[in-house]
Amino acid sequence: MRLSIARAYLVAPHRAKSIRPICSSSLNPQIPLFLRPPNYSVTLKDFHKWHNWAKILNCSVGSSFVDTDNGPDSTLLHRELKWLVQDAVEDKSLSSELENEIEQNPELGLRNVRLKVGIEELYRLWKQRIHERRPFQYIVGCEHWRDLILSVEEGVLIPRPETEVLVDLVEKVVSDNEALREGLWVDLGTGSGAIAIGICRILEGRGRVIATDLSSIALAVAGYNVQRYGLQDLIELRQGSWYEPLQDVQGKLSGIISNPPYIPSDNIFGLQAEVGKHEPRVALDGGTNGMDELIHLCDEATVMLKLGGFLAFETNGEDQCKHLVNYMENNHKGKFCNLKIVSDFASIPRFITGFLNGAI
Amino acid sequence: MANANMLWSSAKILGFPSPIASNVRWARFDYTFRLRHRPFEGSFFFFNSLRFNCSSSNANSVCNGKQYLVLSDEELMKQCEMGTFKASGPGGQHRNKRESAVRLKHIPTGIIAQAVEDRSQHKNRSSALARLRALLALKVRNPVDLEDYSPPPELLQILPLKSTVRPPECGPQIGPNNSKFLPGMQALLDLISTLDGSVSDTAKLLGLTTGALSRLILSDDALRMAVNDIRMSKGLKPLK
Repeated sequence: MRLSIARAYLVAPHRAKSIRPICSSSLNPQIPLFLRPPNYSVTLKDFHKWHNWAKILNCSVGSSFVDTDNGPDSTLLHRELKWLVQDAVEDKSLSSELENEIEQNPELGLRNVRLKVGIEELYRLWKQRIHERRPFQYIVGCEHWRDLILSVEEGVLIPRPETEVLVDLVEKVVSDNEALREGLWVDLGTGSGAIAIGICRILEGRGRVIATDLSSIALAVAGYNVQRYGLQDLIELRQGSWYEPLQDVQGKLSGIISNPPYIPSDNIFGLQAEVGKHEPRVALDGGTNGMDELIHLCDEATVMLKLGGFLAFETNGEDQCKHLVNYMENNHKGKFCNLKIVSDFASIPRFITGFLNGAI
Repeated sequence: MANANMLWSSAKILGFPSPIASNVRWARFDYTFRLRHRPFEGSFFFFNSLRFNCSSSNANSVCNGKQYLVLSDEELMKQCEMGTFKASGPGGQHRNKRESAVRLKHIPTGIIAQAVEDRSQHKNRSSALARLRALLALKVRNPVDLEDYSPPPELLQILPLKSTVRPPECGPQIGPNNSKFLPGMQALLDLISTLDGSVSDTAKLLGLTTGALSRLILSDDALRMAVNDIRMSKGLKPLK
């Protein structure tokens, strides 16, 4: 089943004004806070009151989240609060330094600040952040990833910094091999569309990308992001499980990239609350040993890739990487070449890469 | 303590093997420095107190600061080790934490540049690289041959138009916000350093009055600080 991007994207800008709950499961993707019109206004004094309240709330957290589930500490929450202000306030020059000036000159506090969200909503949002551990990215409706700002919302996995490397890996491969740059690439389980958009920009308009996902919300959000970067002619979205919607391009793929769910089911319960309680389990849970999807992706890659085609998958870490490479070397003897394990920025072996054996 | 469970890992960046020649001498750093200085937000540089000087460096190492500045981002990156916050725990899908700080250590000089305030690792890496370039311009001194001295084009470009040595084809004056300011600033610092911190001697060679050159120096905080470092080391009063 193919999903038309046009349908997913049709979100009139004025819709942001309606008092729609910020958490929505409708197929119309939410507009990230920073893109909304500044339809709200509040005095500087009241804005600072909220800001101070939020800072005190952050401080009250201390290291308690770190101790329970390795969640954020006050420092990180302060930084997120600063980013929320960046996104919510129209006047970029507004800074907390003004605070002192207000004390000296109370009239300044009467000045109005234009906001993209009401002040009551700001209180509500930051309560959600602290009390419910709602991920910051869902609060502001976006995540900064590589040089992109991607819309995200409940129901869609928030792209991780580690995954940025997958795009670098593709960049390296296509700079060594121009034929691959001109080919057809797929991003399986695209979520917000991060990898598909990242790759598509690397291909410089010469190759095409198909992004698949099982989830309608993910496809709607991916469609919104694809459209925002003007790549709707180069990225096609298809709904379905892994390779299922790709039968017509069997054996024709230049590259297969995926960040599939890889967390072992047993570990889901102990996850950081932001992840375990709010992100879609279907994007995280990789079955008993976390490798159900990865094994499936590797198996099918043998028939989906064209000869010389490239694959890169993200994994849970060293054990999965080693296991996968062994699996591919033994169960698909001679099919793949140049199988490599690549580490992420924190030196954790994170990705496996390789090529389908044979000339292009 | 917020950062107690984080460590800096000095991971060599993927695909960019650092060409660490065993005989290159570089400064050793107190790695705990960063933990005592927490005001990371906003733009800042990691200044170290050491002077980098061609004469003090191993002859085998490429130690021409001008060459560093003309390198592409990728080439410069190859000379760096990249450190990131090493997340405790398995990372990846397990975590929601924007520990996207990046620290670059330029191996040949030991200069460290860091960026933490951006929201993606990618951007922090570009910010850190831009800062590294600024630091290389500010910190790496190259000797200048004063016989038959004529200012290089990159220096002419940052001079005010009234300079008598500045040909009209140099175009408009380039200011501190332009990335082309850095090579000019570096050439200016090289000259000032070679002239033992004398602003008036430097001004003569650049066809400017002492006052005009002082104004140029004071127009950029980093440049002013670097010039004053040179002057203090020569026993001169700082410019104000």
